[in-house]
Amino acid sequence: MNFKLTEEQQLIEQSAREFAKEYLEPIVVSMDETREYPREAVKAMAHHDFLGLHLSAESGGVEAGFVTYIAVVEALSRSCGSVASIMNNHAMASYAIQNWGSEAVKKQYLPSMIKGEVLGAFAIYEQGPAPGIGPKAVVSTKTDAGYVLNGTKAYARNAGEAGVYVVTAVAEADRPKTAVAFVVDAKTAGVKVGERIATMGLRGCPVAHVVFDNVVVPESALLGAGGVQIINRTLALGALAEAAQTVGIGQAGIDHAASYAKQRVQFGMPVFNFPAVQALLSDSNTDCHVARMALYHAAQLVDDGEPFEVESAMVKSFLARFGAKLLVDSCQVEGGMGFVENMPLPRLFRDITGTTLVDAPSDTPERAIAMSIA
Amino acid sequence: MSLYTAEQLEIKKAARTFVAKYVIPQAAEYDRTGEFPSYLLEAAKESKVFAMAIPKEYGGLEYDGITQALVLEEWAYGCQGMGTTLGASMLGTDPLLVVGTPEQKKMYFGSIVNGGIAAFGLTEPGAGSDAGAVKTTAVRSGNEYILNGTKCFITNGGYASVYLIVASTDRSQGLKGLSAFIVEKGTPGFTVGTVEHKLGIRSSNTVELHLKDARIPASNLVGAEGDGMKIAMLTLDMARPPVACAAVGMARRAIDECLKQLTERFTGKYLPPQTVQFKLAEMHAQVEAARQMAHHAMRLRDTTTSYAMESAISKLVGGDMVMSVTTQAVSLMGSYGYTSVIEKLMRDAKIMQIYEGTNQVQRLVIARGLLTQAAKRMQKGA
Repeated sequence: MNFKLTEEQQLIEQSAREFAKEYLEPIVVSMDETREYPREAVKAMAHHDFLGLHLSAESGGVEAGFVTYIAVVEALSRSCGSVASIMNNHAMASYAIQNWGSEAVKKQYLPSMIKGEVLGAFAIYEQGPAPGIGPKAVVSTKTDAGYVLNGTKAYARNAGEAGVYVVTAVAEADRPKTAVAFVVDAKTAGVKVGERIATMGLRGCPVAHVVFDNVVVPESALLGAGGVQIINRTLALGALAEAAQTVGIGQAGIDHAASYAKQRVQFGMPVFNFPAVQALLSDSNTDCHVARMALYHAAQLVDDGEPFEVESAMVKSFLARFGAKLLVDSCQVEGGMGFVENMPLPRLFRDITGTTLVDAPSDTPERAIAMSIA
Repeated sequence: MSLYTAEQLEIKKAARTFVAKYVIPQAAEYDRTGEFPSYLLEAAKESKVFAMAIPKEYGGLEYDGITQALVLEEWAYGCQGMGTTLGASMLGTDPLLVVGTPEQKKMYFGSIVNGGIAAFGLTEPGAGSDAGAVKTTAVRSGNEYILNGTKCFITNGGYASVYLIVASTDRSQGLKGLSAFIVEKGTPGFTVGTVEHKLGIRSSNTVELHLKDARIPASNLVGAEGDGMKIAMLTLDMARPPVACAAVGMARRAIDECLKQLTERFTGKYLPPQTVQFKLAEMHAQVEAARQMAHHAMRLRDTTTSYAMESAISKLVGGDMVMSVTTQAVSLMGSYGYTSVIEKLMRDAKIMQIYEGTNQVQRLVIARGLLTQAAKRMQKGA
């Protein structure tokens, strides 16, 4: 076992940190205030090859591997959670297209997605009681020319900015058993993006419901494997990418709280010197470290071609319990100063919460973990 | 049989009606802008809710602790930004109940009864948990005191009519040199500085206060010179159980919001997953337990002067409970939680672990109490 990044991985991670300092840190506060989509930063990410890291050379990607991808997400997240969210959702879409898309859609979208000219959105979430159930479930009907989609995807990230959506659906003929997935161009008639939804944090990343109203797509829009496989694998990778955000944001919070505690004097000494304050910082740093180890281990499994879904679920489950707490406790170390918006921690508090959501019941990690135990 | 009297239940119902009309509908917008809801003071004037702890002889409502608890819970259920405005006014008023002279009470309480609000000014940039590090000075000059210094994070500071300000009358005495003063709005040299924008309770007003050669009558000294720390501690003892009551209201709201969404989503034969049901059950159990502790402390507050430990416990339990419940609520409700009133509750909850003494300070109070009691038992040879 080797827990060190390779030299190449370290170089790419370093470039991500430098990128974040140069391009993200100057805009992160205003982006949080205005909720403006960071168009230039996304273009710059493409220019630095970050949008093709996880894709194969054949697709025009960097083929840098998933560990590298995770390291970059963590590095970017230390400076800006929103941009990492945009990148992750985009990557889930391009990953699904690369792995299961027809030649036609690969050719049409992958080069422009890598160049940052077309943003992708991976839209899976629905508001029914179970996947494929409920009045708003996205349903596909086979026609002679292809498929017709109807229904609503809820809380789709990158919605509105995306040029292409990867959309999961259930087949009308065998509802709700047969899950399928489609590549839908945003310009297709009947794709209606709802009003932008205000989010607690990650405010540069747009979120909206997307309605599919008699959207006609060609045969080539259907992704090859069954929908369940596409969903499970892509979500398991997405969960790891999101965990990298949590770890990056969490570490940024802990680091800030520690340096604040070293200069904040109460009772005649830096509050850092109080054992109870050290315990708060130490618990957070321990949780963050444990999560990071489990995360990079799972990412290595991906690169090794091993099953990683259970490990991904464990990382998700762990961070659902302890992720947001990293910032709850970092803010606590700073007391009143951890609560005012001209300090960075409130933003990190709001951002990290968005990386630890569990969209039950379609997205609960416990089942996969439990089923894996002997 | 209800644990509450018919009158208490009537008042709770009236508070709920008020909150449904004046707090809940406006809460999101004031949270977004961070503006102070001045309209609320006007709306609350007739009911005199800001005077609910003030004795009837001074024109107040003279509610007992449990009745106050029920009202505070309802306000917090609606919006703890607005609930904080009420709670902080009581924080600035409560100590006068105990240590004010009849003249001081008449003036100070009169201001509240007539629609004003109060503020309590202890914290300074260098004096947070370490309240004894207060640098603001008060120097006696004839029939006046002259105050100089800066206070920060003062809730209601921009809108209060009366303030209770802690300042040092003798820097050489440290904690024992602190004294408490009534300062009225409009006192020359007394000005409002920066307004803070906060993670949560955004509609509550949090400001810096500047005192520059601010002259006040010597009769505005509360208690004696040197009583400041004692009064501050007494104030915080009184203020902690109300924070716990508010925490209960916020957490109850979070659960209600989860239930609202879940019952919309899971209809007919579909029930929320068992894991979700269990989380809800745990959250509700925590709320119920915290309410009992909060009410216990409120009852002690009415009946005894030595309840510092129970006061601290109620705040610790309530503050940590509401942070945990609202965090779970957001996580549990996923994207809905992240974009609805539930996320506001989580942002608002964070302060419940911080103000009126951080929950670390509460742990200190409790631990020191335990150790002192144990040492006494040891001495007695018990």
